[in-house]
Amino acid sequence: MVLMRALRIALGAALCLAAISCGGSGGSGTSSPPPPPPPPPTSNVAAVIVDQGPSNQSVNALFTSVTVCVPGSTSCQTIDRIQVDTGSYGLRLLAPPLTLTLPVETFANGNSLVECTQFADGFSWGSVVTADIQIAGETAKSLPLQVIGDSRFPTIPAVCSGTGIEEDSVKAFGANGILGIGPFEFSCGDCDTNTHSSNPVYYACGTTCVATLVPTAMQEPNPVTRFAADNNGSIVDLPSVASTGAVTLSGSLIFGIDTQSNNKSGTQTVLTVDQNAELVMTFNGQTLAKSFIDSGSNAIFFADGNIAPCMTTDTGFYCPGNTLTLGPLSIQGQNGVMVNNLTFGVGNAQTMLQTNPNFNVLPELAGTLPTGLTGTFDYGLAFFYGKRVAVAVEGKTTSVGTGPYIAF
Amino acid sequence: MPIFRSGEIKIAALLCTVLMTALGPRIAGATLGEPEITVQSDVAQLRASIKSSEDRVGYRIHEIQLPGGTLLREFVAPDGKVFAVAWNGASKPDLRQALGKYFDALVSAPKLKFADHRHLQIQQGDLIVQAGGRMRAGFYGRAYLASAIPSGVNLGDLH
Repeated sequence: MVLMRALRIALGAALCLAAISCGGSGGSGTSSPPPPPPPPPTSNVAAVIVDQGPSNQSVNALFTSVTVCVPGSTSCQTIDRIQVDTGSYGLRLLAPPLTLTLPVETFANGNSLVECTQFADGFSWGSVVTADIQIAGETAKSLPLQVIGDSRFPTIPAVCSGTGIEEDSVKAFGANGILGIGPFEFSCGDCDTNTHSSNPVYYACGTTCVATLVPTAMQEPNPVTRFAADNNGSIVDLPSVASTGAVTLSGSLIFGIDTQSNNKSGTQTVLTVDQNAELVMTFNGQTLAKSFIDSGSNAIFFADGNIAPCMTTDTGFYCPGNTLTLGPLSIQGQNGVMVNNLTFGVGNAQTMLQTNPNFNVLPELAGTLPTGLTGTFDYGLAFFYGKRVAVAVEGKTTSVGTGPYIAF
Repeated sequence: MPIFRSGEIKIAALLCTVLMTALGPRIAGATLGEPEITVQSDVAQLRASIKSSEDRVGYRIHEIQLPGGTLLREFVAPDGKVFAVAWNGASKPDLRQALGKYFDALVSAPKLKFADHRHLQIQQGDLIVQAGGRMRAGFYGRAYLASAIPSGVNLGDLH
Protein backbone atom coordinates (compact mmCIF):
# COMPACT_ATOMS: atom_id res chain seq x y z
CA MET A 1 0.00 0.00 0.00
CA VAL A 2 2.76 2.38 1.01
CA LEU A 3 4.64 1.54 -2.17
CA MET A 4 1.52 2.07 -4.28
CA ARG A 5 0.90 5.41 -2.65
CA ALA A 6 4.50 6.44 -3.24
CA LEU A 7 4.20 5.41 -6.89
CA ARG A 8 0.99 7.36 -7.26
CA ILE A 9 2.56 10.44 -5.71
CA ALA A 10 5.58 10.08 -7.96
CA LEU A 11 3.35 9.65 -11.02
CA GLY A 12 1.26 12.62 -9.99
CA ALA A 13 4.36 14.75 -9.55
CA ALA A 14 5.68 13.68 -12.95
CA LEU A 15 2.37 14.47 -14.63
CA CYS A 16 2.26 17.81 -12.83
CA LEU A 17 5.73 18.67 -14.10
CA ALA A 18 4.78 17.57 -17.59
CA ALA A 19 1.67 19.74 -17.49
CA ILE A 20 3.65 22.75 -16.26
CA SER A 21 6.32 22.33 -18.93
CA CYS A 22 3.64 21.89 -21.60
CA GLY A 23 1.80 24.96 -20.39
CA GLY A 24 5.04 26.91 -20.46
CA SER A 25 5.92 25.96 -24.01
CA GLY A 26 2.43 26.78 -25.17
CA GLY A 27 2.48 30.19 -23.50
CA SER A 28 4.07 33.44 -24.50
CA GLY A 29 7.30 31.77 -25.55
CA THR A 30 9.37 34.60 -24.12
CA SER A 31 10.91 32.59 -21.25
CA SER A 32 14.24 30.96 -22.03
CA PRO A 33 13.92 27.18 -22.46
CA PRO A 34 15.35 25.15 -19.57
CA PRO A 35 18.23 22.91 -20.55
CA PRO A 36 17.58 20.05 -21.25
CA PRO A 37 13.96 20.48 -22.39
CA PRO A 38 11.66 17.67 -21.22
CA PRO A 39 9.88 15.89 -24.03
CA PRO A 40 6.39 17.28 -24.51
CA PRO A 41 3.57 14.81 -23.80
CA THR A 42 2.23 13.07 -26.87
CA SER A 43 -0.94 14.64 -28.18
CA ASN A 44 -3.43 11.93 -27.27
CA VAL A 45 -6.74 13.51 -28.30
CA ALA A 46 -8.39 12.71 -31.63
CA ALA A 47 -11.47 14.60 -32.75
CA VAL A 48 -14.55 12.45 -33.25
CA ILE A 49 -17.94 13.26 -34.74
CA VAL A 50 -21.33 11.64 -35.04
CA ASP A 51 -22.62 12.44 -38.51
CA GLN A 52 -24.20 10.92 -41.61
CA GLY A 53 -21.04 9.07 -42.59
CA PRO A 54 -19.72 8.49 -46.12
CA SER A 55 -22.72 6.35 -47.07
CA ASN A 56 -25.03 9.19 -46.03
CA GLN A 57 -27.06 6.55 -44.18
CA SER A 58 -25.53 6.51 -40.73
CA VAL A 59 -27.26 7.29 -37.49
CA ASN A 60 -25.56 7.20 -34.09
CA ALA A 61 -22.24 6.27 -35.72
CA LEU A 62 -19.00 7.80 -34.42
CA PHE A 63 -16.16 8.67 -36.81
CA THR A 64 -12.55 9.80 -36.61
CA SER A 65 -9.54 10.20 -38.94
CA VAL A 66 -6.47 8.00 -39.24
CA THR A 67 -3.21 8.71 -41.08
CA VAL A 68 -1.61 5.66 -42.69
CA CYS A 69 1.83 5.49 -44.28
CA VAL A 70 3.72 2.89 -46.27
CA PRO A 71 5.99 1.45 -43.55
CA GLY A 72 9.21 3.39 -43.08
CA SER A 73 8.28 6.00 -45.66
CA THR A 74 6.78 9.46 -45.84
CA SER A 75 4.20 8.23 -48.32
CA CYS A 76 1.11 8.88 -46.22
CA GLN A 77 -2.62 9.45 -46.48
CA THR A 78 -5.15 10.69 -43.97
CA ILE A 79 -8.50 8.95 -44.20
CA ASP A 80 -11.56 10.37 -42.45
CA ARG A 81 -14.90 8.76 -41.60
CA ILE A 82 -13.29 5.78 -39.87
CA GLN A 83 -15.90 4.39 -37.48
CA VAL A 84 -14.85 4.25 -33.82
CA ASP A 85 -15.95 0.86 -32.55
CA THR A 86 -15.55 -0.35 -28.97
CA GLY A 87 -17.13 -3.66 -30.01
CA SER A 88 -14.45 -4.87 -32.40
CA TYR A 89 -10.67 -5.11 -32.53
CA GLY A 90 -8.19 -3.92 -35.10
CA LEU A 91 -8.02 -1.29 -37.83
CA ARG A 92 -9.80 -2.06 -41.10
CA LEU A 93 -9.74 0.26 -44.11
CA LEU A 94 -11.93 0.09 -47.20
CA ALA A 95 -9.76 -0.26 -50.30
CA PRO A 96 -11.48 2.28 -52.59
CA PRO A 97 -10.58 5.42 -50.58
CA LEU A 98 -7.05 4.12 -49.95
CA THR A 99 -4.60 5.47 -52.53
CA LEU A 100 -1.48 3.89 -51.01
CA THR A 101 -0.26 0.42 -51.91
CA LEU A 102 0.43 -1.22 -48.58
CA PRO A 103 2.55 -4.39 -48.35
CA VAL A 104 0.57 -7.59 -47.75
CA GLU A 105 1.74 -9.85 -44.94
CA THR A 106 3.15 -13.08 -46.32
CA PHE A 107 4.05 -16.48 -44.93
CA ALA A 108 7.48 -18.10 -45.37
CA ASN A 109 6.23 -19.89 -48.51
CA GLY A 110 5.21 -16.61 -50.08
CA ASN A 111 1.45 -17.03 -49.60
CA SER A 112 -0.45 -13.90 -48.63
CA LEU A 113 -2.56 -13.44 -45.50
CA VAL A 114 -6.18 -12.59 -46.33
CA GLU A 115 -9.07 -12.34 -43.88
CA CYS A 116 -12.77 -13.11 -43.99
CA THR A 117 -14.02 -10.74 -41.32
CA GLN A 118 -17.36 -11.67 -39.85
CA PHE A 119 -19.91 -9.11 -38.86
CA ALA A 120 -23.45 -9.92 -37.81
CA ASP A 121 -24.85 -8.28 -40.92
CA GLY A 122 -22.36 -9.67 -43.43
CA PHE A 123 -18.70 -10.27 -44.12
CA SER A 124 -15.71 -8.31 -45.39
CA TRP A 125 -12.93 -9.90 -47.45
CA GLY A 126 -9.49 -8.41 -47.77
CA SER A 127 -5.76 -8.67 -47.22
CA VAL A 128 -3.86 -8.10 -44.01
CA VAL A 129 -1.18 -5.48 -44.68
CA THR A 130 1.20 -3.43 -42.58
CA ALA A 131 1.34 0.35 -42.27
CA ASP A 132 2.75 2.99 -40.00
CA ILE A 133 -0.27 4.72 -38.55
CA GLN A 134 -0.91 7.92 -36.67
CA ILE A 135 -4.03 9.01 -34.78
CA ALA A 136 -3.75 12.36 -33.02
CA GLY A 137 -0.09 12.29 -31.91
CA GLU A 138 -0.07 8.55 -31.31
CA THR A 139 1.92 6.35 -33.65
CA ALA A 140 2.25 2.64 -34.30
CA LYS A 141 4.92 1.34 -36.68
CA SER A 142 4.32 -1.59 -39.05
CA LEU A 143 0.87 -2.20 -37.66
CA PRO A 144 -1.03 -5.14 -39.17
CA LEU A 145 -4.40 -3.94 -40.47
CA GLN A 146 -6.95 -5.17 -42.97
CA VAL A 147 -7.64 -3.68 -46.39
CA ILE A 148 -11.27 -4.61 -47.09
CA GLY A 149 -12.03 -5.21 -50.76
CA ASP A 150 -8.34 -5.27 -51.75
CA SER A 151 -8.43 -5.75 -55.55
CA ARG A 152 -5.25 -7.85 -55.37
CA PHE A 153 -7.39 -10.69 -53.92
CA PRO A 154 -10.64 -10.62 -55.87
CA THR A 155 -11.70 -14.24 -55.39
CA ILE A 156 -13.71 -14.80 -52.23
CA PRO A 157 -13.74 -18.40 -50.94
CA ALA A 158 -17.24 -19.89 -51.12
CA VAL A 159 -17.31 -20.61 -47.38
CA CYS A 160 -16.62 -16.92 -46.71
CA SER A 161 -19.20 -15.54 -49.13
CA GLY A 162 -21.62 -18.17 -47.82
CA THR A 163 -21.89 -16.34 -44.52
CA GLY A 164 -24.09 -13.64 -46.02
CA ILE A 165 -23.96 -10.18 -47.45
CA GLU A 166 -20.69 -8.85 -48.88
CA GLU A 167 -19.63 -5.52 -47.37
CA ASP A 168 -16.55 -4.61 -49.37
CA SER A 169 -17.57 -1.14 -50.60
CA VAL A 170 -17.86 2.10 -48.64
CA LYS A 171 -21.58 2.19 -49.33
CA ALA A 172 -22.15 -1.37 -48.16
CA PHE A 173 -19.82 -0.99 -45.18
CA GLY A 174 -21.09 2.45 -44.14
CA ALA A 175 -17.64 3.86 -43.38
CA ASN A 176 -14.19 4.37 -44.91
CA GLY A 177 -12.89 1.99 -42.28
CA ILE A 178 -13.39 0.85 -38.73
CA LEU A 179 -11.16 1.40 -35.71
CA GLY A 180 -11.74 -1.50 -33.32
CA ILE A 181 -10.68 -0.36 -29.85
CA GLY A 182 -12.61 -2.77 -27.63
CA PRO A 183 -11.23 -4.14 -24.36
CA PHE A 184 -9.17 -6.93 -25.94
CA GLU A 185 -6.09 -7.12 -28.12
CA PHE A 186 -7.37 -9.36 -30.93
CA SER A 187 -10.67 -10.04 -32.65
CA CYS A 188 -9.94 -13.76 -32.73
CA GLY A 189 -8.94 -15.28 -29.43
CA ASP A 190 -7.40 -18.48 -30.81
CA CYS A 191 -6.59 -18.06 -34.51
CA ASP A 192 -2.95 -18.92 -33.78
CA THR A 193 -4.00 -22.45 -32.81
CA ASN A 194 -7.42 -22.97 -34.48
CA THR A 195 -8.19 -22.56 -38.19
CA HIS A 196 -11.97 -22.50 -37.49
CA SER A 197 -12.29 -24.94 -40.36
CA SER A 198 -16.09 -24.71 -40.74
CA ASN A 199 -15.79 -21.00 -41.31
CA PRO A 200 -12.20 -19.76 -41.30
CA VAL A 201 -11.27 -16.20 -40.43
CA TYR A 202 -7.77 -16.29 -41.95
CA TYR A 203 -6.68 -17.67 -45.30
CA ALA A 204 -3.26 -18.21 -46.88
CA CYS A 205 -3.67 -17.25 -50.51
CA GLY A 206 -1.41 -18.40 -53.31
CA THR A 207 -2.98 -19.78 -56.45
CA THR A 208 -5.92 -20.66 -54.18
CA CYS A 209 -6.88 -19.65 -50.66
CA VAL A 210 -6.83 -22.18 -47.82
CA ALA A 211 -7.61 -21.81 -44.13
CA THR A 212 -4.52 -21.14 -42.06
CA LEU A 213 -3.23 -20.64 -38.57
CA VAL A 214 -1.83 -17.16 -38.00
CA PRO A 215 0.75 -16.16 -35.38
CA THR A 216 -0.60 -13.33 -33.23
CA ALA A 217 2.22 -11.08 -34.45
CA MET A 218 0.62 -11.18 -37.91
CA GLN A 219 -2.98 -10.63 -36.74
CA GLU A 220 -4.46 -7.12 -36.66
CA PRO A 221 -4.34 -5.97 -33.07
CA ASN A 222 -6.36 -3.26 -31.37
CA PRO A 223 -4.11 -0.38 -32.56
CA VAL A 224 -4.12 1.29 -29.14
CA THR A 225 -2.10 -1.62 -27.77
CA ARG A 226 0.64 -0.86 -30.32
CA PHE A 227 1.01 2.84 -29.59
CA ALA A 228 4.41 3.80 -28.24
CA ALA A 229 2.63 5.50 -25.31
CA ASP A 230 -0.90 5.77 -23.93
CA ASN A 231 -1.48 2.14 -24.85
CA ASN A 232 -3.56 0.74 -21.98
CA GLY A 233 -6.94 1.83 -23.28
CA SER A 234 -8.94 4.78 -24.50
CA ILE A 235 -11.69 7.15 -23.46
CA VAL A 236 -14.65 8.26 -25.58
CA ASP A 237 -15.73 11.69 -24.36
CA LEU A 238 -18.96 13.02 -25.86
CA PRO A 239 -21.13 15.95 -24.78
CA SER A 240 -24.78 15.46 -23.95
CA VAL A 241 -27.42 16.02 -26.59
CA ALA A 242 -31.10 16.96 -26.50
CA SER A 243 -33.42 13.96 -26.22
CA THR A 244 -34.85 14.87 -29.62
CA GLY A 245 -31.39 14.60 -31.15
CA ALA A 246 -29.10 16.74 -33.27
CA VAL A 247 -27.56 16.92 -36.74
CA THR A 248 -24.05 16.18 -35.48
CA LEU A 249 -22.20 15.76 -32.21
CA SER A 250 -18.48 16.43 -31.76
CA GLY A 251 -16.25 15.07 -29.03
CA SER A 252 -12.92 13.51 -28.23
CA LEU A 253 -11.26 10.14 -28.38
CA ILE A 254 -8.54 10.23 -25.73
CA PHE A 255 -5.83 7.58 -25.75
CA GLY A 256 -4.42 6.13 -22.56
CA ILE A 257 -5.92 5.94 -19.09
CA ASP A 258 -4.02 7.61 -16.22
CA THR A 259 -1.07 8.24 -18.51
CA GLN A 260 -1.46 12.00 -18.91
CA SER A 261 -3.19 14.87 -17.17
CA ASN A 262 -6.20 14.68 -19.49
CA ASN A 263 -7.05 11.01 -19.01
CA LYS A 264 -7.01 10.55 -15.25
CA SER A 265 -9.43 8.16 -13.64
CA GLY A 266 -11.70 9.77 -11.10
CA THR A 267 -14.62 8.42 -9.15
CA GLN A 268 -16.26 6.62 -12.03
CA THR A 269 -17.70 3.14 -11.84
CA VAL A 270 -15.43 0.37 -13.11
CA LEU A 271 -17.17 -2.69 -14.57
CA THR A 272 -14.93 -5.54 -15.65
CA VAL A 273 -16.15 -7.53 -18.66
CA ASP A 274 -15.88 -11.26 -19.30
CA GLN A 275 -13.93 -13.03 -22.06
CA ASN A 276 -16.75 -12.16 -24.48
CA ALA A 277 -16.57 -8.46 -23.49
CA GLU A 278 -19.99 -8.90 -21.91
CA LEU A 279 -21.77 -7.56 -18.85
CA VAL A 280 -24.89 -8.70 -17.02
CA MET A 281 -27.82 -6.33 -17.41
CA THR A 282 -31.18 -6.67 -15.71
CA PHE A 283 -34.21 -5.23 -17.45
CA ASN A 284 -37.94 -5.97 -17.45
CA GLY A 285 -37.34 -8.56 -14.75
CA GLN A 286 -34.95 -10.49 -17.02
CA THR A 287 -31.31 -11.17 -16.29
CA LEU A 288 -29.50 -10.72 -19.59
CA ALA A 289 -26.05 -12.27 -19.22
CA LYS A 290 -24.83 -11.52 -22.76
CA SER A 291 -25.23 -7.75 -22.59
CA PHE A 292 -22.79 -5.05 -23.62
CA ILE A 293 -22.11 -1.35 -24.08
CA ASP A 294 -20.94 -0.71 -27.64
CA SER A 295 -20.11 2.40 -29.65
CA GLY A 296 -20.62 0.30 -32.80
CA SER A 297 -24.32 -0.30 -32.15
CA ASN A 298 -26.49 2.46 -33.55
CA ALA A 299 -29.41 2.17 -31.14
CA ILE A 300 -30.47 0.73 -27.78
CA PHE A 301 -31.34 -2.87 -28.61
CA PHE A 302 -33.48 -5.14 -26.46
CA ALA A 303 -36.40 -7.54 -26.82
CA ASP A 304 -39.74 -6.30 -25.53
CA GLY A 305 -42.89 -7.73 -27.08
CA ASN A 306 -44.99 -5.01 -25.47
CA ILE A 307 -43.50 -2.18 -27.52
CA ALA A 308 -44.65 -1.79 -31.10
CA PRO A 309 -41.92 -2.42 -33.66
CA CYS A 310 -41.85 -0.25 -36.80
CA MET A 311 -43.74 -2.09 -39.52
CA THR A 312 -43.33 -0.67 -43.01
CA THR A 313 -40.12 1.34 -42.89
CA ASP A 314 -37.32 1.38 -40.35
CA THR A 315 -37.99 -2.25 -39.49
CA GLY A 316 -35.76 -3.41 -36.68
CA PHE A 317 -36.46 -0.27 -34.64
CA TYR A 318 -39.25 0.46 -32.16
CA CYS A 319 -42.18 2.72 -33.00
CA PRO A 320 -44.17 3.28 -29.79
CA GLY A 321 -47.19 5.62 -29.95
CA ASN A 322 -45.59 7.98 -27.44
CA THR A 323 -42.03 8.41 -26.27
CA LEU A 324 -41.46 5.99 -23.40
CA THR A 325 -39.18 6.26 -20.41
CA LEU A 326 -38.01 2.73 -19.61
CA GLY A 327 -36.25 1.30 -16.62
CA PRO A 328 -34.94 0.43 -14.21
CA LEU A 329 -31.95 -1.00 -15.99
CA SER A 330 -29.05 -2.33 -13.95
CA ILE A 331 -25.58 -3.15 -15.24
CA GLN A 332 -23.24 -5.50 -13.41
CA GLY A 333 -19.58 -6.20 -14.09
CA GLN A 334 -17.65 -9.41 -13.54
CA ASN A 335 -16.15 -7.70 -10.51
CA GLY A 336 -19.61 -7.60 -8.93
CA VAL A 337 -19.87 -3.82 -9.18
CA MET A 338 -23.39 -2.76 -10.10
CA VAL A 339 -24.98 0.36 -11.52
CA ASN A 340 -28.67 0.48 -10.69
CA ASN A 341 -31.82 2.34 -11.61
CA LEU A 342 -30.78 3.62 -15.03
CA THR A 343 -33.59 4.85 -17.25
CA PHE A 344 -33.64 5.65 -20.95
CA GLY A 345 -36.05 7.11 -23.47
CA VAL A 346 -37.48 5.24 -26.44
CA GLY A 347 -38.99 7.37 -29.19
CA ASN A 348 -40.89 6.45 -32.32
CA ALA A 349 -38.18 5.77 -34.91
CA GLN A 350 -40.35 6.63 -37.91
CA THR A 351 -41.49 9.90 -36.35
CA MET A 352 -37.93 10.83 -35.36
CA LEU A 353 -36.48 10.06 -38.76
CA GLN A 354 -39.29 11.84 -40.61
CA THR A 355 -39.49 14.90 -38.36
CA ASN A 356 -35.77 15.64 -38.59
CA PRO A 357 -34.45 13.69 -41.56
CA ASN A 358 -31.05 15.41 -41.28
CA PHE A 359 -30.52 14.33 -37.65
CA ASN A 360 -27.73 11.79 -37.25
CA VAL A 361 -27.69 11.87 -33.45
CA LEU A 362 -30.79 10.21 -32.01
CA PRO A 363 -30.35 9.22 -28.36
CA GLU A 364 -33.87 7.74 -28.10
CA LEU A 365 -33.58 5.44 -31.10
CA ALA A 366 -34.17 1.87 -29.92
CA GLY A 367 -34.10 -1.39 -31.80
CA THR A 368 -35.59 -4.85 -31.50
CA LEU A 369 -33.77 -8.08 -30.76
CA PRO A 370 -35.34 -11.36 -31.83
CA THR A 371 -37.04 -13.10 -28.93
CA GLY A 372 -35.52 -16.31 -27.66
CA LEU A 373 -32.28 -16.02 -29.63
CA THR A 374 -30.06 -14.20 -27.19
CA GLY A 375 -30.07 -12.92 -23.61
CA THR A 376 -28.77 -9.53 -24.63
CA PHE A 377 -29.28 -5.88 -23.86
CA ASP A 378 -27.12 -3.97 -26.34
CA TYR A 379 -26.64 -0.37 -25.22
CA GLY A 380 -25.27 1.41 -28.27
CA LEU A 381 -23.63 4.77 -28.88
CA ALA A 382 -26.46 6.58 -27.06
CA PHE A 383 -24.91 5.32 -23.83
CA PHE A 384 -21.81 7.42 -24.56
CA TYR A 385 -23.70 10.71 -25.02
CA GLY A 386 -22.93 13.04 -22.12
CA LYS A 387 -20.31 10.69 -20.66
CA ARG A 388 -16.61 9.93 -20.53
CA VAL A 389 -16.46 6.19 -21.12
CA ALA A 390 -13.10 4.49 -20.59
CA VAL A 391 -12.28 1.11 -22.15
CA ALA A 392 -9.24 -0.59 -20.62
CA VAL A 393 -7.56 -3.39 -22.53
CA GLU A 394 -7.11 -6.89 -21.11
CA GLY A 395 -4.12 -7.21 -18.82
CA LYS A 396 -3.42 -3.47 -18.82
CA THR A 397 -3.43 -1.62 -15.52
CA THR A 398 -4.75 1.81 -14.66
CA SER A 399 -5.03 3.54 -11.30
CA VAL A 400 -8.49 2.03 -10.76
CA GLY A 401 -8.10 -1.51 -12.02
CA THR A 402 -6.92 -3.93 -14.65
CA GLY A 403 -8.59 -4.48 -18.01
CA PRO A 404 -10.70 -5.74 -19.60
CA TYR A 405 -13.04 -3.17 -18.15
CA ILE A 406 -15.38 -0.35 -19.08
CA ALA A 407 -15.68 2.64 -16.75
CA PHE A 408 -17.96 5.68 -16.78
CA MET B 1 -47.40 -36.52 -28.98
CA PRO B 2 -44.29 -36.97 -31.11
CA ILE B 3 -44.95 -36.80 -34.81
CA PHE B 4 -42.11 -39.17 -35.69
CA ARG B 5 -40.96 -42.30 -33.90
CA SER B 6 -37.34 -42.47 -32.87
CA GLY B 7 -36.94 -45.83 -34.63
CA GLU B 8 -37.99 -44.21 -37.87
CA ILE B 9 -35.44 -41.46 -37.38
CA LYS B 10 -32.63 -43.94 -36.89
CA ILE B 11 -33.58 -45.95 -39.97
CA ALA B 12 -33.97 -42.80 -42.02
CA ALA B 13 -30.66 -41.47 -40.78
CA LEU B 14 -28.92 -44.75 -41.62
CA LEU B 15 -30.48 -44.79 -45.08
CA CYS B 16 -29.44 -41.24 -45.61
CA THR B 17 -25.89 -41.97 -44.54
CA VAL B 18 -25.73 -44.83 -47.03
CA LEU B 19 -27.24 -42.62 -49.73
CA MET B 20 -24.89 -39.78 -48.94
CA THR B 21 -21.87 -42.05 -49.12
CA ALA B 22 -23.05 -43.28 -52.51
CA LEU B 23 -24.09 -39.96 -53.97
CA GLY B 24 -21.79 -37.61 -52.11
CA PRO B 25 -21.94 -33.99 -53.12
CA ARG B 26 -24.22 -34.71 -56.07
CA ILE B 27 -27.19 -34.33 -53.71
CA ALA B 28 -28.08 -30.69 -53.97
CA GLY B 29 -27.25 -28.66 -50.93
CA ALA B 30 -30.55 -27.49 -49.59
CA THR B 31 -32.47 -27.18 -46.44
CA LEU B 32 -34.79 -24.24 -45.77
CA GLY B 33 -38.04 -25.02 -47.57
CA GLU B 34 -36.74 -28.47 -48.58
CA PRO B 35 -37.59 -31.98 -47.37
CA GLU B 36 -36.14 -33.30 -44.14
CA ILE B 37 -33.70 -35.56 -46.01
CA THR B 38 -31.70 -32.45 -46.92
CA VAL B 39 -30.73 -32.09 -43.28
CA GLN B 40 -28.45 -35.02 -44.01
CA SER B 41 -26.94 -33.32 -47.04
CA ASP B 42 -26.23 -30.30 -44.86
CA VAL B 43 -24.45 -32.52 -42.38
CA ALA B 44 -22.33 -33.99 -45.17
CA GLN B 45 -21.64 -30.73 -46.95
CA LEU B 46 -20.72 -28.97 -43.73
CA ARG B 47 -18.59 -31.90 -42.52
CA ALA B 48 -20.70 -31.74 -39.39
CA SER B 49 -22.49 -34.23 -37.18
CA ILE B 50 -26.03 -34.47 -35.88
CA LYS B 51 -25.78 -33.88 -32.18
CA SER B 52 -29.41 -34.59 -31.41
CA SER B 53 -32.84 -34.91 -32.94
CA GLU B 54 -35.80 -34.07 -30.80
CA ASP B 55 -39.54 -34.08 -31.32
CA ARG B 56 -41.40 -31.07 -30.00
CA VAL B 57 -45.11 -30.40 -30.14
CA GLY B 58 -45.78 -29.58 -33.76
CA TYR B 59 -42.23 -29.88 -35.14
CA ARG B 60 -38.90 -31.68 -34.90
CA ILE B 61 -35.43 -30.19 -34.31
CA HIS B 62 -32.18 -31.55 -35.69
CA GLU B 63 -29.21 -30.05 -33.93
CA ILE B 64 -26.09 -30.06 -36.11
CA GLN B 65 -22.66 -29.53 -34.59
CA LEU B 66 -20.31 -27.78 -37.01
CA PRO B 67 -16.58 -28.51 -36.83
CA GLY B 68 -15.82 -25.05 -35.47
CA GLY B 69 -18.27 -25.55 -32.61
CA THR B 70 -21.17 -23.52 -33.98
CA LEU B 71 -24.58 -25.15 -33.55
CA LEU B 72 -27.00 -25.16 -36.46
CA ARG B 73 -30.58 -26.20 -35.72
CA GLU B 74 -33.03 -27.15 -38.43
CA PHE B 75 -36.75 -27.17 -37.70
CA VAL B 76 -38.97 -29.65 -39.56
CA ALA B 77 -42.73 -29.20 -39.87
CA PRO B 78 -45.23 -32.13 -39.88
CA ASP B 79 -45.31 -31.87 -43.70
CA GLY B 80 -41.67 -32.98 -43.65
CA LYS B 81 -40.19 -29.68 -44.81
CA VAL B 82 -37.61 -27.53 -43.08
CA PHE B 83 -39.39 -24.30 -42.13
CA ALA B 84 -36.65 -22.64 -40.07
CA VAL B 85 -32.93 -22.80 -39.29
CA ALA B 86 -31.18 -21.16 -36.34
CA TRP B 87 -27.52 -20.84 -35.39
CA ASN B 88 -25.38 -19.87 -32.46
CA GLY B 89 -21.62 -19.97 -32.04
CA ALA B 90 -18.21 -18.37 -32.40
CA SER B 91 -18.58 -18.10 -36.18
CA LYS B 92 -21.49 -17.94 -38.57
CA PRO B 93 -22.47 -21.10 -40.47
CA ASP B 94 -22.41 -21.45 -44.25
CA LEU B 95 -25.80 -19.92 -44.94
CA ARG B 96 -25.55 -20.72 -48.64
CA GLN B 97 -25.87 -24.33 -47.57
CA ALA B 98 -28.36 -23.84 -44.75
CA LEU B 99 -30.67 -21.48 -46.64
CA GLY B 100 -30.44 -23.30 -49.95
CA LYS B 101 -32.48 -21.60 -52.63
CA TYR B 102 -33.31 -18.73 -50.25
CA PHE B 103 -29.69 -17.65 -49.91
CA ASP B 104 -29.93 -15.46 -53.01
CA ALA B 105 -32.91 -13.65 -51.47
CA LEU B 106 -30.80 -12.92 -48.39
CA VAL B 107 -27.80 -11.49 -50.22
CA SER B 108 -29.87 -9.51 -52.72
CA ALA B 109 -32.06 -7.90 -50.07
CA PRO B 110 -31.84 -4.10 -50.12
CA LYS B 111 -29.66 -2.81 -47.31
CA LEU B 112 -31.74 -1.30 -44.56
CA LYS B 113 -31.25 2.38 -44.05
CA PHE B 114 -29.51 3.04 -40.74
CA ALA B 115 -27.96 -0.42 -40.47
CA ASP B 116 -25.03 -1.18 -38.18
CA HIS B 117 -22.66 -4.15 -38.06
CA ARG B 118 -24.24 -5.81 -35.03
CA HIS B 119 -27.68 -6.64 -36.33
CA LEU B 120 -29.41 -7.99 -39.40
CA GLN B 121 -33.11 -7.96 -40.15
CA ILE B 122 -34.23 -9.05 -43.61
CA GLN B 123 -37.69 -9.63 -44.99
CA GLN B 124 -37.74 -10.75 -48.62
CA GLY B 125 -41.07 -12.21 -49.61
CA ASP B 126 -41.66 -15.20 -47.36
CA LEU B 127 -38.10 -15.25 -46.01
CA ILE B 128 -37.30 -13.58 -42.71
CA VAL B 129 -33.74 -13.45 -41.36
CA GLN B 130 -32.88 -12.08 -37.93
CA ALA B 131 -29.30 -12.16 -36.73
CA GLY B 132 -26.83 -10.48 -34.45
CA GLY B 133 -23.53 -10.78 -32.65
CA ARG B 134 -19.98 -9.55 -32.77
CA MET B 135 -16.36 -10.64 -32.74
CA ARG B 136 -15.25 -12.70 -29.74
CA ALA B 137 -18.77 -12.93 -28.28
CA GLY B 138 -20.03 -14.91 -31.27
CA PHE B 139 -22.99 -14.80 -33.61
CA TYR B 140 -26.62 -15.92 -33.49
CA GLY B 141 -29.50 -15.83 -35.89
CA ARG B 142 -32.45 -17.52 -37.48
CA ALA B 143 -34.05 -17.71 -40.89
CA TYR B 144 -37.60 -18.88 -41.42
CA LEU B 145 -40.38 -19.01 -43.95
CA ALA B 146 -43.22 -16.98 -42.48
CA SER B 147 -45.97 -18.91 -44.23
CA ALA B 148 -44.54 -22.32 -43.31
CA ILE B 149 -44.47 -22.00 -39.52
CA PRO B 150 -46.75 -24.75 -38.19
CA SER B 151 -49.74 -23.47 -36.24
CA GLY B 152 -49.09 -23.18 -32.54
CA VAL B 153 -45.31 -22.82 -32.92
CA ASN B 154 -43.93 -19.81 -31.08
CA LEU B 155 -41.24 -17.74 -32.87
CA GLY B 156 -39.38 -17.48 -29.58
CA ASP B 157 -38.86 -21.26 -29.67
CA LEU B 158 -36.92 -21.07 -32.93
CA HIS B 159 -33.43 -20.79 -31.52
